[in-house]
Amino acid sequence: MAEKLEDLNLPMTVVTRIVKEALPEGVSISKEARTGLAKAASVFVLYVTSAATNIVKNKKRKALTGQDVLDAMKDIEFDRFIEPLGEALEQYKQIASARKSGAGKKKDEGEEVETIEDD
Amino acid sequence: MATPKTEKDLHLPLSRVKTIMKSSPDVEAVGPEPLYLVTKVTEMFVIDLAKRAYKNCKGNNLEYKHIAEVVQEDDTLDFLREIMPRKITVRQFKEIMAKKAAKGDRSDESTEDSSEEESSEESSSGNEES
Repeated sequence: MAEKLEDLNLPMTVVTRIVKEALPEGVSISKEARTGLAKAASVFVLYVTSAATNIVKNKKRKALTGQDVLDAMKDIEFDRFIEPLGEALEQYKQIASARKSGAGKKKDEGEEVETIEDD
Repeated sequence: MATPKTEKDLHLPLSRVKTIMKSSPDVEAVGPEPLYLVTKVTEMFVIDLAKRAYKNCKGNNLEYKHIAEVVQEDDTLDFLREIMPRKITVRQFKEIMAKKAAKGDRSDESTEDSSEEESSEESSSGNEES
């Protein structure tokens, strides 16, 4: 759980960096715009999460899967993300299985469900 | 645009995304796969939003109002409307109020939200009422 309220927001600096990389060079982003984008991204996380959780609930399952996140895109009418996200999921699965066979190299931060046991 | 290959193409901190996801009711555990995808799609989303907002700006300065415009025009972004209201200036606000008053229903002038006397422009976040 979040201890501080800031923990429920994505870091503005990172969001700004992502956006800057995507926009043509030389575009300046006002402070208010930066804050707005970071807020929007944070709310989007929750929005997607709840859409995906709904799918899980309807299927009477418990654990959230990558496919649920993908399916959620349709429900929230973000169809334009389905294809690139589907590709991302495929890639992720490949890497994940490669990693499993290649013996855990490095771990993501803060995992709880992963239960990685080295050796 | 390069195609992302590994998890390293993510910029946002997974731990933070996870915290946010877990703050949602009904979410107990978040596995690495859904976490990766939510993070990924959030990055896609914010880039998409920024690019569309950028189309709204004439110069090279991306401002809040450009984003708010996209949000107001796209119904799939309805979930953002509350946090990204279209801002109006004090003057516009007064004009709206004046129009309202002129429309005849003099029953509810003033009182409500007319406490904005900030000196700055772009202050009151009035939702348009038509």
